[in-house]
Amino acid sequence: MRQARLLVCAWALAGVGASGATLADLDRYEAALAKNADDLRAGSEYRQAVIQLKQYDRCIKFFEELVAKSPQAANAYLNYGFAYVDKIPDAGAITQVILANTALSHFSKSIELRPSWIALYTRGNSYLYWPKIFGKAPLGVKDLEEAMKMQKQDKLRSYHVRAYISLGDGYWKMDDLEKARAVWQEGAKLFPNEPRLKDRLSRSGEELAKYIDETLDPNKRVDTNLHELWEDQ
Amino acid sequence: MTGRVVLAAAASAGLALLANGVGERWFEDVTARAGITHQHTNREFKNPYAHIMAGYTALGAAVAVADYNGDGFDDFFVTDSAEGGKNRLYRNNGDFTFTDVAEAAGLAAGNDAQNASADALWFDFNNDQRPDLLVIRFGQNQLFENLGNGKFRDVTRTSGMLGYKNAITAVAFDYDRDGWVDVFVGSYFQPVNVFNPETPRFFPESFETANNGGGVTVYRNNGDGTFTDTTEQAGFRLTGWTLDMGHADADNDGDEDLYVACDFGTDRFFVNNGDGTFTDITEKAIGIDTKKGMNVDWGDFDGDGLLDIYVTNITDDYMREGNFLWRNNGDLSFADVSRETDTYNTGWGWCAKFFDYDNDGWQDLYVVNGWVSAGKESYVPDIFEMITRPNIELADARNWPPMGSKSLSGYQKKRLFHNEGGAGFKDHAARHGVDSVRDGRGIGVADFDNDGRLDMYVANANAEPYFYRNTLPPGRNWVQFLLGSPKANRFAIGAQVRLTSGGRTQLSFVNGGNGFAAQSTNRVHFGLGKNEKIDQVEIRWPSGAKQTLENLPPNRIYRVLEGKPKAEILIAKASQK
Repeated sequence: MRQARLLVCAWALAGVGASGATLADLDRYEAALAKNADDLRAGSEYRQAVIQLKQYDRCIKFFEELVAKSPQAANAYLNYGFAYVDKIPDAGAITQVILANTALSHFSKSIELRPSWIALYTRGNSYLYWPKIFGKAPLGVKDLEEAMKMQKQDKLRSYHVRAYISLGDGYWKMDDLEKARAVWQEGAKLFPNEPRLKDRLSRSGEELAKYIDETLDPNKRVDTNLHELWEDQ
Repeated sequence: MTGRVVLAAAASAGLALLANGVGERWFEDVTARAGITHQHTNREFKNPYAHIMAGYTALGAAVAVADYNGDGFDDFFVTDSAEGGKNRLYRNNGDFTFTDVAEAAGLAAGNDAQNASADALWFDFNNDQRPDLLVIRFGQNQLFENLGNGKFRDVTRTSGMLGYKNAITAVAFDYDRDGWVDVFVGSYFQPVNVFNPETPRFFPESFETANNGGGVTVYRNNGDGTFTDTTEQAGFRLTGWTLDMGHADADNDGDEDLYVACDFGTDRFFVNNGDGTFTDITEKAIGIDTKKGMNVDWGDFDGDGLLDIYVTNITDDYMREGNFLWRNNGDLSFADVSRETDTYNTGWGWCAKFFDYDNDGWQDLYVVNGWVSAGKESYVPDIFEMITRPNIELADARNWPPMGSKSLSGYQKKRLFHNEGGAGFKDHAARHGVDSVRDGRGIGVADFDNDGRLDMYVANANAEPYFYRNTLPPGRNWVQFLLGSPKANRFAIGAQVRLTSGGRTQLSFVNGGNGFAAQSTNRVHFGLGKNEKIDQVEIRWPSGAKQTLENLPPNRIYRVLEGKPKAEILIAKASQK
């Protein structure tokens, strides 16, 4: 986790308000990232501004050029992948698949450069959005188990709950309900007030299937704001 | 004490359920008993791309309902698509049995090496009060004039409708209000010979924004047995992959507007300008979508006096488009309420029809679905391998993987959505035994036995059809109207009927063939629930004239002619034939 913390930039960029992003903000973030491509926070905040302005293609093009210039910047690849994920809810059903597939390749590159918790969690979680028929759930579980190992060696952080949720979802997608419930219960002990774990543990059968299905609906925007990483240092 | 109260409540709830017939089955499969013995067969192409095309042309199972012989009982025409396969005209014997008279009528031969039937549409093109028949085909369409003696004459060549269309749908209504019904033909492929294509580049160029399809052709009825292609003048410049069209008066201004559902791209909404032209107001009306529009049907599901639209798309594990239930805002804009009403997910949707199956006064919805139900192996990985290949040219059929014996969104259960008082829908298909898993395409709704209960004929691709007789128990009232207009188009297509009973006003209208691969009865049917009195019926005729009828007894089929003050009883019961 120390690694992730170090990667969060010391840059003091003024954040963008919930509804007030402007094209000038995008210019500012792009300039910042051009100076430090590996700045996870600047990249994350840049993308949140992009979402507000629906400038998805500009963002994708920017990261494409950025990773070409900084091919060792693992976090640039991570943000590059997220740039595709951010576009998914605004895309048609088929384009969603193409975007998701491209995002996965950038997450993989990020892991190849530096296997951080956030990269492993992100790729692992992304695999879970794929329909069962593609058989990607085991790949997701593998990444999430790795992320779980990493977080257990770190102090407990608020965002660690995500791995408990997603790993359980992964087991559920592999039809291993017992393991799914065990990992959700383990998470619930550490995060007793977490509603997403309570929701899962209070459901079963069709009701649980519907709940997870709706959670992993690609038409719903996935929160790709990484602020939790630097809010719980 | 508490326990006793609970028991009493449960007992009274049980009685109420019994009284409402909850749990009983209200549709009976009478396919074989009715004499329906054929099955639909898909076309097998014989060209270099046949193995690819096979997976994408599992179409052509259609049903079109009309009382072609004027005996007061609705008959129906069904299509086959195999080369040499016979189309059928089922004449209603009046006792819920039917006789195929297509050969004698001259309507059986619709499938040869260069043409495959896809849909059919009854409409009276020469205003002789006899429904004529348009057979819609991949290849060239056929227009048959009803001679009134049980026989039909092929008038395609003289009508001006001859030409390569690769059509898959058509609707007929009088768009310019000159008293003659015009025809809108929707084409899937562009006008190439799909049986012997000269190029492999005739497949959709995109999954979401394809503009290399067949679009829409408008045929204006000249009133002399001929038609003129007025597509451009009417304001239609479409090149999408049309799958269905539905017309209705969206803004209650007296003329018919049009929704065009497109596969592989954006559905279109056209408002009628009232001067023989239309304006494409898609962006304002429904926004720009990238889905796979399959079906268009109109009905006032929420009872607000405005006609709403139901459009099916594709929803499955691998593609979650969701259907559209477009609630009419009254200002030529619509809001999709499919999620809120639980009509969002019906699988790979095809035809859907609004109708009141339980005569409670609310428009229910039946939806058929399923693309190809074949082997256990899924085609999904194959198609996505193609989609994610960089720089793939989708228009080239050679790049598409053959489906072989694999399934794609197959074995899906049909949905019978009961309208819960306009607030939403609940699926009752399993309860009523109409949740089959055959690959459904068209739904023809009509009261085939004139008993006041709406029956359904379901056309399935590459399979036997289902014919469902409605067996709703007695106790709910109804009324039907067959409209005729000596002044305007003879079957009054476009006429709106507003019926007031029990403090509520229902709206319905005469439509000219809305719904994918299906045309329902041209009678207007209203369920009245327990109401035994019809306070008022207001008819707005296609001419614009309004007529009011009062104090009509329910549970009858009325024939109403424009300008005649009294409604006649058409035929009350099957036994009277």
